Amino acid sequence: MNNRLFHITPSGWSGLLFAAFAFVVLPMVAGKLWLSVFISTGCFMLAIAGVAFMYARLGMVSLTQVGLMGVGGWVMLRLNHAYGFPFEVNLILSGLVTMVFGWLLALPALRMRGLYLALVTLMAAGGLEILFATYQFPNGGEGFWGVKTGSAAAFRRPWLAGSAEAYMRYVVVIVVLGFLLIEAHRRLAPGRAWALIRRSEAAAMAAGVNVTLYKTWAFGIAGLLAGVAGGLLAGSLGLLDDATFKASESVMVFALAVVGGARYWLGALIAATLYRILPALLNNWGVDADLSFVIFGAGLLHAIITAPNGLAGQLIDTIQAKLAPKKEAGQ
Amino acid sequence: MNKSTLLNWVLYLVLMAAILAWLGWGKPMKIQGLFLASGLATGSLYALGGIGMVVLFRATGVLNFSGGAAGAAGAMTAWQLVEWGVWGPVAWTACILLALAITLFYGRFIAPQLAWREPVVKAVATLGFALIILGLVSFLWIDDPRSISLPTDKIGIRFLGLRVTATRLIVFAASILIVIGIYLFLSRTKIGLQMRSLANDRDLSALIGIPILKVETIAWGISGVLAGFTGLMFADLIRLEPTVITFMVIPSIAAAICGRLDNLALVLVGGLSMGVIENMLTLSPTLKGVRPIAPFVIAALVLLWSQRGSRLTFGGRD
Repeated sequence: MNNRLFHITPSGWSGLLFAAFAFVVLPMVAGKLWLSVFISTGCFMLAIAGVAFMYARLGMVSLTQVGLMGVGGWVMLRLNHAYGFPFEVNLILSGLVTMVFGWLLALPALRMRGLYLALVTLMAAGGLEILFATYQFPNGGEGFWGVKTGSAAAFRRPWLAGSAEAYMRYVVVIVVLGFLLIEAHRRLAPGRAWALIRRSEAAAMAAGVNVTLYKTWAFGIAGLLAGVAGGLLAGSLGLLDDATFKASESVMVFALAVVGGARYWLGALIAATLYRILPALLNNWGVDADLSFVIFGAGLLHAIITAPNGLAGQLIDTIQAKLAPKKEAGQ
Repeated sequence: MNKSTLLNWVLYLVLMAAILAWLGWGKPMKIQGLFLASGLATGSLYALGGIGMVVLFRATGVLNFSGGAAGAAGAMTAWQLVEWGVWGPVAWTACILLALAITLFYGRFIAPQLAWREPVVKAVATLGFALIILGLVSFLWIDDPRSISLPTDKIGIRFLGLRVTATRLIVFAASILIVIGIYLFLSRTKIGLQMRSLANDRDLSALIGIPILKVETIAWGISGVLAGFTGLMFADLIRLEPTVITFMVIPSIAAAICGRLDNLALVLVGGLSMGVIENMLTLSPTLKGVRPIAPFVIAALVLLWSQRGSRLTFGGRD
């Protein structure tokens, strides 16, 4: 069984290769501005991985992922300004707190399925948006909310990654770890339980699968990834803005996860690229960034109507179709 | 009326009275009345958005996220026409017609391709359409403070010593009349009967020969007109900004949830209560800042309350 667990698929190889490229080459060639764009792309990729895996493996639609990132980022900033813990401890704590938060959200939501589940999470996202806008993110002030006017207090980067280049590499490593966490789950007992639940909850329950436990577990993983992503995003800039965590952004992130292709790592990459890099590129080319909405929307309709596996699915199918005849000839 | 419905109503009235008494305690009547009136107007907007959504959802099974975007496109067009010196009523009619056209386009050309998918997928697809409209509207009209004003803003009506603008009264009256009108339409006309039949079981309705496409197109039309009207009123009473109007669907969904995506009267009551509580929260020094959270908290509580004691079952659909 361990062979199956550590087996690397072609998709896995290409993912690792791409991660190596992002680790080695991208920080060397990118300028300061693009580094920060790439870092936030990495953070959102991690969060998108969480929401995409819930959709692909369990068919659950969560419209609050960016709100959960905000929770992670809030905890990260709060811990950073209140205590002298190292970055890694703060990051793990913000991931765990967000995971618990995701669980709390999941428990009532688990009584609902499909559309109602999506709507409950949307209400949560709407609520979080207003909380962030009202209380702002901690920047070193006094009291529980820790907000002061004027410039923010210093943020401690991890000791391994003081510079922007090193921080980008740090983010790449954590994103890879996040994907490995999902993949490991998929190959072990939870993955089998999820597959059964997605087919039929009745069958899963009849087979002795604890449906509530495994659904909550999935929510927890999505929350953990969102929390870590939020913490990393906070670390990139040292402060956060509430406009990043609006409910509409959560909805957009889910939509893009579907456009990219929720089943593949490439899908999360495409989604994060569309979300963060495309607007920056359009800006660079002097095109109105509002048009990126039109591209997102058209991509979403296209993906939903004609490509259930998203752009990544289409791409992979094309590549496989090209490779397949050669294989047969070789045999 | 059965026992649990009665319990729900009693609980609702007690809670509402308690909240209003708590928030309004010790404040002059006049201020309370002021917030109540503006709350009812905001609440009517939420309710109108929710009603359009529920009518469409019942008939077609599509939860339409793009109503707000259609309203935003209409409101911006109306603003532009007024800027160009077009006579007001023409501009307002253009707003409603544009929203109607946008909604009908989706309902006639895109929605049928997704007819047999799950409700979540249909809802997400309308989101894609909303993004396209929002992108185009924001592209055509760059960010700039704008406002639209209807002549009814200047007409004030004295009511128990309070001056209420006619626009607010119109919105409030419209939300009630529309609920009554749609109720009569659904219960008295043949199309209404067919719509209820579709809401009940789409497959069986198709089998007994109900013209699904025609009935659905009418439902899309009703929701399009409502979207245009709501967009125009929202632009007048709250803000004329495409993004804000587009994402007004989120509190509208909260109102729709109060009626469990099914009961129009409850959507109206839910929407109005949300608006009133949201506005009355301004009176509380501690909760003033978070008052827009009211619709979401109320919707979440309603959902939890209505699902209490229920367990996951495997019959039926979502």
